[in-house]
Amino acid sequence: MNNESKIGDVVLDALSDVLQEPVGGLAAEPALAAHAWTSLASLEVLAQLENELGIVLDLRAFNAVRTVDALIELVRATANAAEMPAS
Amino acid sequence: MTGDASPLTAGALSAGQALLDELRSAVTDRREPGPAARHALAGMADPVVMHKAGRLLARLEPRGESLPRVRVAIAATCTIGAYENLLRAAVTGAGVLPVIEPGAYASFEMSLATAGFAGHGDPDIVALLIDESYFLPRDWDGGDAAALVRYLQTRLAAFRSLLASCLARSQATLVLHTVPIPNEVLDTLISWRGRASVAQAWHQLNAGLLGLAEEHRQVMGIDFAARLADAAFPARDERMRQYGDMPYTDGALLLLAQQVRRAVQAKRGLSRKVLALDLDNTLWGGVVGEAGGAGLEIGGLYPGNCYLALQRTVRRLREQGVILVLASKNDPEVAERVLAEHPEVVLRPGAFSVRAVNWSAKAENIRQAARSLNLATGSFAFMDDSDVERFAVSSELPDIPVISAAGEPAYLVRSLVQPGWFDVMTLTDTDRQRADLYRARAERSEFETGFGTPEKYLRALGLRLEVAPVTEYTLVRVAQLAARTNQFNLTGIRFDETATAGLNDNGDYLVGSISVADRFGDEGIVGGLWVQLGRRSWTVLNMVLSCRVLGRGIELGVVGWLARRARSAGVTALNGRYVPSGRNRVSAGFWENAGFTSTADGEFTLDLEKSTVDVPEWITLRERDGQST
Repeated sequence: MNNESKIGDVVLDALSDVLQEPVGGLAAEPALAAHAWTSLASLEVLAQLENELGIVLDLRAFNAVRTVDALIELVRATANAAEMPAS
Repeated sequence: MTGDASPLTAGALSAGQALLDELRSAVTDRREPGPAARHALAGMADPVVMHKAGRLLARLEPRGESLPRVRVAIAATCTIGAYENLLRAAVTGAGVLPVIEPGAYASFEMSLATAGFAGHGDPDIVALLIDESYFLPRDWDGGDAAALVRYLQTRLAAFRSLLASCLARSQATLVLHTVPIPNEVLDTLISWRGRASVAQAWHQLNAGLLGLAEEHRQVMGIDFAARLADAAFPARDERMRQYGDMPYTDGALLLLAQQVRRAVQAKRGLSRKVLALDLDNTLWGGVVGEAGGAGLEIGGLYPGNCYLALQRTVRRLREQGVILVLASKNDPEVAERVLAEHPEVVLRPGAFSVRAVNWSAKAENIRQAARSLNLATGSFAFMDDSDVERFAVSSELPDIPVISAAGEPAYLVRSLVQPGWFDVMTLTDTDRQRADLYRARAERSEFETGFGTPEKYLRALGLRLEVAPVTEYTLVRVAQLAARTNQFNLTGIRFDETATAGLNDNGDYLVGSISVADRFGDEGIVGGLWVQLGRRSWTVLNMVLSCRVLGRGIELGVVGWLARRARSAGVTALNGRYVPSGRNRVSAGFWENAGFTSTADGEFTLDLEKSTVDVPEWITLRERDGQST
């Protein structure tokens, strides 16, 4: 199971869902500010990712995210850090 | 039902996915979500799925309109956030299409004080979302717990007057909830005595909130704090509270939304009236045909105690008016003997209004039971341990929610009661006696077979009808009938308790309760009548009659009573209306049968100077003062 690409898909799904934007549109314009990235929408994405992946994101790091790729990177790093003690 | 499954199990994941797929296709096809999707929404405990479901439902623009529309305003002391979507998804599970109207941020007090909510005019329901910040001071003195206690008391008093102001201006039903006290507040108090006194004051605050529901007909209360304490997830997320003024987690908000769904279901009379149950591995452990009565698990230690607990719970539902039907594949003699003789069995044969113990398909048995009870199959819920049986019933009769008795028997009681399928607003005497009423009814239908013509049977029944202006004692039952009656419901206008009380206090209207008794017993209040009293003509706004008493001419007796009363008041015409709802075809020809003439589409009138309505000769009309005619 490729966990890395699964996380990418989960993040894209969550963004596409909340921002009402097809995944293709997010790839074409990865800057979150170009979409309906309001503070409320960003918190919806945060809650969805945390619930779905069972992780807790650092809120300051999350707020600093500006692009789709940076968000995927943050989620991957958080998920990997959470898995570390068990391995 | 996925109510108690972990959201991370594969089964729950795929159930969530199936639900979202179904909603997506409903949006694309522009149709209302079907019963299977609605039942899934009512039982779904996964906030991610429900949030997505709510977002999809927001885009739904169905062409047809068969589900009732319900306007739900949200008034919140904090950011509403995910609650809007979660509430939309959950309330759809009640069997309605909700229109959610979220209030603006920081408008809580103003909207309650003026009863001015987000949409135009009164919503049906106002769902309050309250957090601790409303009751706690911004800052408080850690050394003076007594001052904090006093402050909480003043805040409750302030909320009480705010609510009173809203109720004076609005007909909407307000759904409020208790508020959990954050651990941080309690832990900041280092003295045990001080902490106990603040905790006690907080409980009193919550008790006061629930007391408002007892005090006002228009208010419904949810013990959110208690429900959170029994939930398997965190109630609060401090990051979200500090960053976005969102004190509750999505899981907690969904828990609250599901309670609001139950409130809507009870208020709109969409709850189920009948519980159909399997026997083997549901009401007892084991298969009676194989193990014999002595080999069954019931009573004693685990797991027999789980089945006994379920039987006791089912009995408690029956005591509150839920009708029980047995739907079991067994030899009837074997099952009957165990039910009658097993020392640990609580539900004896007489507890069930219909016992369908045979080898026929359960869906067909349920259909027949519905016919003999004169109820729609949609008023049933069905509990069975077999995946195959549940699937067969829900494919044949999709309106029936199925409750799983599979798996761990310790969860049987929770699986049955957690979805809240049987919720009602208030219990009336009729509810408490319903099981006996239905037993009398079964006897009545046996009696019926001995007569050559229906008139002979009706005459022998000795029907006594009483129509009387509603009183504070009969008001609740009449409003309940308005909410729950679908078949004999002439105009579909569902006057609730508040509206009925309002009309009853107004001299220009007459609200009547309809009671029936016969040689087999007293049926109690079986219908309601709402009439506008003009100077020259009276207009029936609606009349509802329980399907229990249809086919006996009661409805003609009621109009006969009304005609007599109208004539003695010098009124020259009676007007009536019929509005088809898709479910009230049984009452379609009523006005013509009563001798009224059609004046326009769905409008009827009777000239009291030229004709009248006779009370059928087999009915004795009883007046409130005891006179009979």
